[in-house]
Amino acid sequence: MIVSESVLSLGISLIALFFAGLLATKINQSLIAVFIVVGMILQNFFPVTIITEFIATLGVIFMLFMFGLEFSIGSFFHNQRRIFLVGVYDLIFNFPLGMLIGWILGYDLIHSLLLGGIIYVTSSVIVAKSIIDLERSANPETECILNILIFEDMFIAMFLAFIVGIGNYNHIEVKGTLFVILKTTGFFAFYIILSRTSKKLIDWLVDVEHTELFVILILSIIVLSAGVAARIGLSEAIGAFLAGLLLSETKQRQRISEAIKPFQQFSTAIFFVAFGMSVDYKHVIYLIPMGIFIFIISSFSKVMGGYFIGKRYLLSKKACLRLGFSLVPRGEFSIILAGAVAMNNNMPYSLKSLAGVYVLLSAILGSIIMKESERVTKWFVEKKDDEIKQIKENI
Amino acid sequence: MSEIKECDLPGIGKKFTLELDSGDKLVVVIHSSGEREVFKFIHDNDEPTSVTKLNDEEAHQIGAILTGTYFQPVIEDEQKLAMKNVTMEWIKIVPDSTLANKKIEELNIRKLTGVSITTIIRGKHVIPNPSSHEIIKLQDTIIIVGNNEQIKKFIAKFEIKQRLEE
Repeated sequence: MIVSESVLSLGISLIALFFAGLLATKINQSLIAVFIVVGMILQNFFPVTIITEFIATLGVIFMLFMFGLEFSIGSFFHNQRRIFLVGVYDLIFNFPLGMLIGWILGYDLIHSLLLGGIIYVTSSVIVAKSIIDLERSANPETECILNILIFEDMFIAMFLAFIVGIGNYNHIEVKGTLFVILKTTGFFAFYIILSRTSKKLIDWLVDVEHTELFVILILSIIVLSAGVAARIGLSEAIGAFLAGLLLSETKQRQRISEAIKPFQQFSTAIFFVAFGMSVDYKHVIYLIPMGIFIFIISSFSKVMGGYFIGKRYLLSKKACLRLGFSLVPRGEFSIILAGAVAMNNNMPYSLKSLAGVYVLLSAILGSIIMKESERVTKWFVEKKDDEIKQIKENI
Repeated sequence: MSEIKECDLPGIGKKFTLELDSGDKLVVVIHSSGEREVFKFIHDNDEPTSVTKLNDEEAHQIGAILTGTYFQPVIEDEQKLAMKNVTMEWIKIVPDSTLANKKIEELNIRKLTGVSITTIIRGKHVIPNPSSHEIIKLQDTIIIVGNNEQIKKFIAKFEIKQRLEE
């Protein structure tokens, strides 16, 4: 009974997603925001079932797997100094700010950490797509932006593993924390060493001609890896991410990506819908002013951080500002973080709903800001130039 | 040769930057999707002045043109057309030939028929672009060039019987 009803509601969700998505692509908006909105509307018609939840979980797993697969670990090690330099700057500018806001809002340490992560992590999906759409791939600041995104993705992947590990304890204590850090690092190190040393073996293992068996093998690697991660008390997502990393250096990479993409697109869409459905309607209206406030502050810190990173790279003022504005959109990772830990409902502001409002604002406004940054930077640079002129004239 | 800077754009593709002698920069981005983008940056400007998008096939064609290995078939047809009206003829000088043992200038070939002698083949020797003082000898083979009418005139005028097929 439950299953067949779920099938119908899944069908309704998907058709709603299709039309909403169609509309979004027409006005060049990100699908993430639209999918969440669809979920928020659909919660009035049917509840989140265990089946949607299961698909949503798979959505996170496949999404992280694709991140891992497209993550070039080769170029990460090749450019590690640069990536760390820009990444740490960006981290210092944005992560503590989120934690501070969390503390002011009266969250406990775990929730403050989560809010730090939610506010810190820029959406690589939205930003990479906007860069291509706005024809900025060859701009000098783009390299920098992408390096920042790589660092963020890597950092947040580890952070996710860590925070889920901590979340299992329900409170933070030194011994438990150290143990979780050890576990996370060990898990990461295991995969990275495996991918560095057993390239040939992995290549041989996944070299399966048969299409169907190939898909099953890859799926089994992903799900097993996710399952093991969950079993040892880390997040499933991180197991999937590392599985992707492991397979990213194989010759079959393109084939794997093509085989898994449809699963990923379907389940990830359902993930965003399920998230939207779990955001409490009545709460949202009440949370909007807070969401706007956080959005403004965190956008400002992102732009500032980006500007300083650009200056270090000796970019022009315009490029620096473009860099900063390009880091504003938040998206998939913030949503994953918001849903990662079972929430304590005694908090003054529901973190999940707040994250929902925040991501909606920054995904929608963020991509608009990116597009319009040209105008803002022009205005800003010209104004500065005028000021300099005036100062010179006065002298 | 100027240096080409290569760099990864994770999630997008690969970027190649070429500094031109003029001080401008040409940047090629190869997307993972196979699409190519060519950007031109004037001097130190950090925004491109032009963007050209090419699909895989177009990129191959442009690449071939730029390296000078691409010929359009249309031009080849035109060349054939141009050659249609021009004929080369190999002529063996036999003992009773009116051409034998005469200087080229004596024969006044070009004035009379419009045909030019381009080459004399004498046994193992080849005389390209023979001077007008050259004497045509028995057993020589001469190569003449002209349009069809000129060649016909030449054959009639000098009573050529033995023509060698090309």
